[in-house]
Amino acid sequence: MTPAKKAKKKIEEKIFIPQEKLNEVLERLSKHFRVWVPVLSSSSNGWTVEFRPFTIESEPFFTRQSTMPPKSVILPQGETLFQYEYVKNSDDPSKQDLILKETINAEKTLVFGARPCDVRGFVICDWVFLRGLYLDVYYKSRRENTLFATLVCQDADDACFCSSVGGGPGDMEGSDIRITSTSEGFVLEGLNDRAKEVISLCECDPPSEEQSRDAQRIQEEAKNRIIGSLDVSGSVEAVKGQFQNMGVWRDIAESCLSCGVCTYVCPTCYCFTITDEIQGLKGERLRSWDSCMFHQYTQEASGHNPRPTKLERYRNRLGHKFCYFPLRYGGVIACCGCGRCIRSCPVSIDIRSAVERVKEVHSNACVCS
Amino acid sequence: MWNEITEKLHEVLRNVMPQVDVVLGWERGFNPLRIKPVVVRSEKDISRLVWNPFCVQNLTGYLVKNPAVIAGEGKKVAVCVKGCDSRSLVALIQEHFLDRDRLLIIGVPCQGTIDWRLVMKKIGNTTTVFNAHIEDGILRIEHSGGLEQMSIESVLLRRCLRCAYPNPVIYDVLIGETVTPRIDKSELYRNVAQFEQKSLEERRNFWIDVLSRCVRCYACRNACPLCICQDWCIAERRDPKWVTQRPTIKDIFIFHSIHALHLAGRCTECGECERVCPVGIPVMFIKEKLNEINLRLFSYEAGLDPQAVPPLLTFNPHEAGI
Amino acid sequence: MLASAVNPYLPELGRVVEVITETPTIKTFRIVLENTEKMQAFDFRPGQVAQLSVFGVGEATFVINSPPTCKDYLQFSVMRAGEVTQKIHQLVPGDPVGVRGPLGNGFPYEAMQAKNIIFIAGGIGMAPLRTLLLFMLENRKDYGEISLIYGARSPQDLCYRYEIPNWQKKGVDVVLTVDAEAPGWTHRVGFVPTVLSEEAPSPNNRIAIVCGPPIMIKFVLFGLRELGFEDWQIYTTLEKRMKCGIGICGRCNMGEKFVCADGPVFSMEELQGMVPEL
Repeated sequence: MTPAKKAKKKIEEKIFIPQEKLNEVLERLSKHFRVWVPVLSSSSNGWTVEFRPFTIESEPFFTRQSTMPPKSVILPQGETLFQYEYVKNSDDPSKQDLILKETINAEKTLVFGARPCDVRGFVICDWVFLRGLYLDVYYKSRRENTLFATLVCQDADDACFCSSVGGGPGDMEGSDIRITSTSEGFVLEGLNDRAKEVISLCECDPPSEEQSRDAQRIQEEAKNRIIGSLDVSGSVEAVKGQFQNMGVWRDIAESCLSCGVCTYVCPTCYCFTITDEIQGLKGERLRSWDSCMFHQYTQEASGHNPRPTKLERYRNRLGHKFCYFPLRYGGVIACCGCGRCIRSCPVSIDIRSAVERVKEVHSNACVCS
Repeated sequence: MWNEITEKLHEVLRNVMPQVDVVLGWERGFNPLRIKPVVVRSEKDISRLVWNPFCVQNLTGYLVKNPAVIAGEGKKVAVCVKGCDSRSLVALIQEHFLDRDRLLIIGVPCQGTIDWRLVMKKIGNTTTVFNAHIEDGILRIEHSGGLEQMSIESVLLRRCLRCAYPNPVIYDVLIGETVTPRIDKSELYRNVAQFEQKSLEERRNFWIDVLSRCVRCYACRNACPLCICQDWCIAERRDPKWVTQRPTIKDIFIFHSIHALHLAGRCTECGECERVCPVGIPVMFIKEKLNEINLRLFSYEAGLDPQAVPPLLTFNPHEAGI
Repeated sequence: MLASAVNPYLPELGRVVEVITETPTIKTFRIVLENTEKMQAFDFRPGQVAQLSVFGVGEATFVINSPPTCKDYLQFSVMRAGEVTQKIHQLVPGDPVGVRGPLGNGFPYEAMQAKNIIFIAGGIGMAPLRTLLLFMLENRKDYGEISLIYGARSPQDLCYRYEIPNWQKKGVDVVLTVDAEAPGWTHRVGFVPTVLSEEAPSPNNRIAIVCGPPIMIKFVLFGLRELGFEDWQIYTTLEKRMKCGIGICGRCNMGEKFVCADGPVFSMEELQGMVPEL
């Protein structure tokens, strides 16, 4: 491209990517960003959708919410905090020295095709990692280097409830670019300055008037849709009030398997463990996903466990999202309503009805006493 | 038909309720495709129970895992079982985790259980399901996008397509008529045999591909009724440390190998490990291979005879030789 | 402020300089940070904790056991219990370790000024109390009477035996007790809660600071209330399984409070407002 020609091409805030050009555009973006897209896993039963780094073979899949959220883009399943190595002390060979190497590395990343609930997950996690007593530098560097091009959501099934927890199918909080999927392709709109680079790298034309109108109609529809009917008000008091009422927790969680599915598919479940992994004299300190549903999570060396059964553990998960988190972080419910925990639960435990049940028992208890 | 069987189940339970403290069964979950396990403790709750091809869960694990569902002194636990579930019970009785006399086993012959994911795929990815009705092998779904019909056979879980034991092998009460197995016993491991036709590299690539999705949620372990050490599993324990927390194929493979080996000669192929996997990894396939070896070497099938001793439990410290 | 202000997960390198065997299961480790500036600047409140690393094994949380004015070393008393503590017990002078701290809140000693103080400790529970006790002795005039009831299973299980005469010399009224009679034992025999009710300290202008095994804490609290102590007069330090130590990783919460970051020191009054998940 000649300089003159380049200057002529105006950087558009709004572009249209034709369906058949999508991979071409994503490939172009991949030269500048690590681009994550939702893809259908070939070897599963044709259902599992995960975010994977884009390659030219990728077939981005946008027709259904991904099975796993894009959580691992910012919070990888396993992440090296630092590396270390034992070496001989040069002055006294009977002694060992230790060399420590900090490993914070975040590359420029673009998540293409996440949904509003997925991104809301990060907005919620920000409270913990960026606004707590300590700043989590690993999270921060990834978060700052990651842009979200978010799909206006036109799908919802009977596990979705984003509107009940402060989100919505058109919610763009935390996103940099809005993607509206129309019948012919994708309308992209930059929502902030960060988006400009991505938009211009796409090298696409602005949408036609019709395409614009289409997108606007879809956005309007999304804005007006109410997904879910859970009423979270009073959940804080209810959890506290019914904390020791093990009967209600048994009703809710007796069928729980105490597996980690709900926590691992959850965009807002961020709890982790830290372990040392070493081979010979070299090793790393690793942060990896952990789950409050696991027995070992709170198991103390003495043998004592403050949450000895799945009932206490489920109580903690629900309590964390609908009571402890809002108490700690300005009233924010730590749930984005994506419904993954409900959908993926092997025994169909529904956190919406669990919250409702705790509230119901609590309000009955209050009336009686 | 399923309503009738459900009613029959209610009737049977009302009759046996004086002898039992708790009933383990299934109830409707958040939509008609999603059934959830339920523990019923009073007669008035019996009406919550259902029995239909969406009753996918194997309930027998609840009898042994912490905190186990148990009955008070002199009473029994009633448990609803499909064919495959009943084999888990047999295995648990064989290994002395359960006392047969404390169980009231309600057997229900099974025509196969349905994979909700396959149904959703057929009716459109994201709709609200209002109603699901099954008649003569046809599933009719009323949903927000309209009406859809499909054959049950087209949406069965993989475990059911290869089921040779749809009828409970142990029970006190049997509800419904026995059904003809979908496959013959001789065909049980045809998939294993087919897979083994592939080259080593193809097989290796297959496992790398599927296991790379594993998030180590341990649902496969926790749903397995015979994985009884789940709270103290080597997968999470650091002392001794056998598996690292690194999310590498190597570590994931070691976990699944240990999981499968702990079930060698014990796995009753209920397929719960595979059904519960959130990312669709065919983990039962590993166990099928082990069972195929088990059948070949010892002519033994797990969970059929409460009196039999599983081959890997026959270790005798006084044996003269190997 | 953390010694490493930029990355709260990154430990400061240190080296073990001295190991003291306290009891058959407890050892005290004195550690010096390699970076002398950071060692001098390592400022903490009594009751604050640190994560001690043995690289390759992991981290565990211990109270910083030396008085804050001591800039020669950081001291930790470690009971052998799990994987990490076993490895720590194998450390010898010269071995490299990591220290991440100070973390947590520490004792609100300002609010205790001009008050009488009674320390009630069982076994390893003496470790966090020792720092505050030494701090108060350094600032003796700021506090009223200082007394200590300290119990252990047997005479061999008492930590800091070698220091106790020194504490007494500085005016601490010390009552020692063991669970059962033992040859040569001239002090009290009986459980700490029993000894507490025999001693019957007046709650008048007094703060009680309790640390020990959960069962001891439970009965001591019961005893203190019998004596007329109110919840605001009682402090304890809690223990939980911890990983990050900075209120992020999730596991040590009691409701909305994290024991690692909001604690480990809590008054009974604060604990009453928290969910009971000990």
